[in-house]
Amino acid sequence: MRILRERCRVTVYERGKAFEGYTLIDPFTSNDVWLIDMEGNYVHRWMMPASPRNHGVIVPSGNLLYAMAQRRQEDSPDLPRQWGLSAGLLEVDWDGDLLWKYVDIRQHHSFFRMRNGNTLYCRAMRVPDEIARRVKGGIPGSEDRGMIFADGVNEVTPDGEVVWEWEAYEHLDPEVSEICPLCPRDDWTHLNSCFELPDGNILLSFRNISTVCIVDKSSGSIKWQWGPGEIAHQHDATMLDNGNILLYDNGGHRLNGSRMCYSRVVEVNPSTNKIEWEYKANPPQSFYSGVISGCQRLPNGNTLVCEGTKGRVFEVTMDGEMVWEYTSPFFAPHPIAAGIEYTMHVQVPHLRFTNMLFRAYRYQPDYPGFKGKELDPGKLAWVNRLYGPEAFK
Amino acid sequence: MPEVKPSGLSLYKREAYKGYTLFAPLGGREVYLVDMAGQLVHIWKMPVELGSYGELLPNGNLLYAAKTSNAPLGDFDGAGGSILELGRDSNLVWKYEDQYLHHAFSRLPNGNTLVLRWIKTPEEMAQKVKGGLPNTEKDGVMWGDAIQEINPAGKVVWEWKAYEHLNPEVDIICSICFRNQWSEANSLSVTYDDNILISFTRTSQIALISKETGKIDWRFGEWPELVHPHNACLLANGNLLIFEAGVHIIGYEAGRARILEIDRSTGEAVWWYDEPSAVDFIAPTKGNCQRLPNGNILICEGDYGRIFEVNRNKEIVWEYINPYYHEYQKYGRNNTLSHAYRYGPDYEGLKS
Repeated sequence: MRILRERCRVTVYERGKAFEGYTLIDPFTSNDVWLIDMEGNYVHRWMMPASPRNHGVIVPSGNLLYAMAQRRQEDSPDLPRQWGLSAGLLEVDWDGDLLWKYVDIRQHHSFFRMRNGNTLYCRAMRVPDEIARRVKGGIPGSEDRGMIFADGVNEVTPDGEVVWEWEAYEHLDPEVSEICPLCPRDDWTHLNSCFELPDGNILLSFRNISTVCIVDKSSGSIKWQWGPGEIAHQHDATMLDNGNILLYDNGGHRLNGSRMCYSRVVEVNPSTNKIEWEYKANPPQSFYSGVISGCQRLPNGNTLVCEGTKGRVFEVTMDGEMVWEYTSPFFAPHPIAAGIEYTMHVQVPHLRFTNMLFRAYRYQPDYPGFKGKELDPGKLAWVNRLYGPEAFK
Repeated sequence: MPEVKPSGLSLYKREAYKGYTLFAPLGGREVYLVDMAGQLVHIWKMPVELGSYGELLPNGNLLYAAKTSNAPLGDFDGAGGSILELGRDSNLVWKYEDQYLHHAFSRLPNGNTLVLRWIKTPEEMAQKVKGGLPNTEKDGVMWGDAIQEINPAGKVVWEWKAYEHLNPEVDIICSICFRNQWSEANSLSVTYDDNILISFTRTSQIALISKETGKIDWRFGEWPELVHPHNACLLANGNLLIFEAGVHIIGYEAGRARILEIDRSTGEAVWWYDEPSAVDFIAPTKGNCQRLPNGNILICEGDYGRIFEVNRNKEIVWEYINPYYHEYQKYGRNNTLSHAYRYGPDYEGLKS
């Protein structure tokens, strides 16, 4: 179904039911990061040196922490070819001035600013051959130059010192954590989120094995894992105040015997492995993003959902009522697709023109980072004339 | 602020092929014929629930696949149970019942009707079939496809069983589909030389069957070049037009549907259609395509109730969103369609 241009604005806003605040979006197709208000006015813009790979967050100081994309790099003997690595983590202040930069050529997908001020991030690591041979599943023969990659997680201090390292291949069981039958074998795990739990342990989301894990920070062992057969290629796992885990269940390769494509947002209790809450649309196929995407539980109990490939961000109540909806108007060629000649072959990303978003975050008006900051549609008047709430009226 | 969903006519350019569009919303009891402006010009009332789709016959009657409540495989997509022919006033003209009917049918020029039905794949054969998720047969059975030709009196005059002609080494089930069906045929048509064109979605194969020998004379579908077709039709130039659903695509989990025009002599795509933002066009479980006399193609993106027409330059020249929503099986409140067809104003069936 075509995304109608006139719907690329705030299309639902139920005052009193929606959680008031500002929503952060970072379109893949530009170097701009935007804050929008509930009406859909653009109230702040960061102009970054590169497009996101894959997103940013506003840290409590009001700075933007952001992972940026780089051009496809030269082949390297032990770096994966298949998917994009980041050119670095940047922290910029409200005006976009660079405060911190950390580069690890293996960094990809996502990161997390910890309570102690350090930063966790995902990194791609080659799996030793003797383990790689034992990894089950995936499309036979689809290794990357004979190699299989998996992921690691690093914790880095503001001074750039790595103080904690973790390798997935040392802790996952290749006999148990099988690659999805329709995914290539070059990428065993495909880590796409990392999150620090209140007790200091780490929650990870591995897409290609449709598994979320809790890693014991001190021993590195996996304390809990869940997902295969229940969810398909999930993203953005976080722990809620009630101890449950919220995640975005993308649904592209469900193993339930149906080819119907639909996404869900799922809240699972890690002590019982029972799903205690879910959001699905009616009809289910009207909410679907097979890749990217995210979800955020808001303080009033609502959930902000980013349906990534559609560039749509919406908020639902616990009862599943939609109380806010916005679609990004920032359509452009995807930076990966733009550099590749388009052919009919299926391997090429079919994203010649897209408004996709990796994640979105809502911040309440009294968020510490906004203190003393100007959140004024007037300073972006031309943007609001083009894309704001009045633009399509 | 109420939510606004698109419905009805949303685009109409002058290059569109003028005619009338037939569609039948699943879960509903009516079949609609609309003009180019999206205005209703005729409604048929269905006495039995819709199974998949209806077609307007040259005699002006509507032939449709119904779903009967006693269908033993009613939980399979496309389950039917009877085929009904309705007159202009929805009066019942002809009916054929078989609880194993599914998906597709085709009225032949001689007045007979081709139907698709499920039959059991013999166990020793089923065990040889590769692919699919292990242990997902239905009560130990792998259902397969058969084609039957039925005369107006309801007698079977010709039969073709897929398991006698498919090859377990070649006809491999998609690796994340269930093994409760081997091939899951979903479209059926007769070529100008009286052979049969069939699409098998679970094994992602298109086959041209010789009516005389029963042999598969030609086939297309080198996985992963083709994944889960919805339908295939033979064009006047000898090429094939195929609707690929867009799910279970290797290397692109988000999915993207395509219409492919395949040169039968080379097996190469000479033309294809997809949409610039791939996610704008995906038809996971239902859809069809039809070549129109002016070269345009009518596409039914079934799961989203969207019917649209594209020209050879891949521009959308007409678009209509089914505005009729119904509760439909496990899928909730839907405007889902299986197929849509455009008939020119000079079509015989519109004259009466």
